Amino acid sequence: MQNKVELTPEAAVRAVMRDILGLSEVQVAEFTAETELFGALPELDSMAVAGLLTELEDRLDIMIDDDEVDGELFETFGNLVAFAEMKVTG
Amino acid sequence: MTLIPAFVSYEFADRKELCLSLAARSGRRIMLVPPLFDEMNRMRKMLIDVMRSLETLEIASFLPDLPGTNESLLPLEQATLSDWQKALEACAQQHQISHIASFRGGALAVAEMQSADHWVFSPVKGGTILRTMMRTKVASDREAGLNTSLAELAARAKAGPLELAGNIIGSDLFTQLNAADIPTMKNQRIVRLESDNKPGDVQIPGTALWLRAEPDDDLAMSAAIAQDIAIWIGQ
Repeated sequence: MQNKVELTPEAAVRAVMRDILGLSEVQVAEFTAETELFGALPELDSMAVAGLLTELEDRLDIMIDDDEVDGELFETFGNLVAFAEMKVTG
Repeated sequence: MTLIPAFVSYEFADRKELCLSLAARSGRRIMLVPPLFDEMNRMRKMLIDVMRSLETLEIASFLPDLPGTNESLLPLEQATLSDWQKALEACAQQHQISHIASFRGGALAVAEMQSADHWVFSPVKGGTILRTMMRTKVASDREAGLNTSLAELAARAKAGPLELAGNIIGSDLFTQLNAADIPTMKNQRIVRLESDNKPGDVQIPGTALWLRAEPDDDLAMSAAIAQDIAIWIGQ
C-alpha cells in the first residue's frame, strides 16, 4: 500500500473541477480566483455540484453541512478554494 | 477484427438478467461489476472499451446487469444490496468466473465473494454515494421552493421508497448501502487514479469519469485498466 499524500485544498478543487468539466491539466491551470463557475459553466448543474461537494469531502477528509452551501460558494473558483481552505484548517 | 459484445443471461430469483459478454476465445474469464446508479451510466462506455481491450489480451469478460438496473425486469425499488451480492455470485458461478473487477460502488456488491480474486477500481463507501444523490435531491427541491435537509431525506428513506436523482430507492437498499464500508477482500488489488491520494496498490493515469456531467470515455485509461487487469490475472 502506498502512503496517503497530503493534498492542498486548492489542488483538490482544481483536480475535481478538471474531472467534472473534462478539461486538460493546462486548461484547468488557467483558472484564477476570478474565474466564474455556476452559471458560466453549463456542465456545472445541480448534480455536478452534488458530486463536487462529496468528492471534496472525500479527497480532503472534511464534512460539509447543508447550511454551509449557498449560491455564493459556486460563484467563482476563488470562493470555492477559500471555502475548502477554511474547512481544512477548521 | 473487432468483435461485437453480445448479450447472454444469468438466472437469479427465477428471472433472467442480462449480461454483456465479449467471450469469443476460451481462456481466462473475468466479471466486470459496474459502478452504481448514475456513475454506472457515466462509465458504461469506458467499461465496454475495457472489455474490447481485454479481448485483444485474450481475456473473456462479462458485464452483468444488477437486478433492478438497465434491462432488468425487477423494479429498482425492490432491489437490495444483499440481492445484488447473491445475483453476482450466481452470475459468476453460471459463467465459471473466478476473477472479478469491480468499479466504484460495484465493489460493495461483491464484498461477500471472499473466495474470488478481486481487482477493485477506486472503491467508494455506500454512504458517500447516497450523500451525493441526496444532495442532488436537496438542490432540485430548493429549485422547487422546498427546504429539505440531508437528515430529513435519510429519515424518509428509512421509512419507505424514496426518489433520489431519478432512482427509486427502497428502504432496505438505502439502509444496507448506508452501512456498507469499502470491503477488504482476501485477495485484492486496489487500483486508483494518479490524481487520487488515497491508499492503493497501484495507480493508473486517467480522469474520474464518474464525476463528469455527461457520459464520456477515456480510451487511454480503459487500455491502462485492461493492461493492469491482464498483469494481475497473469500472476
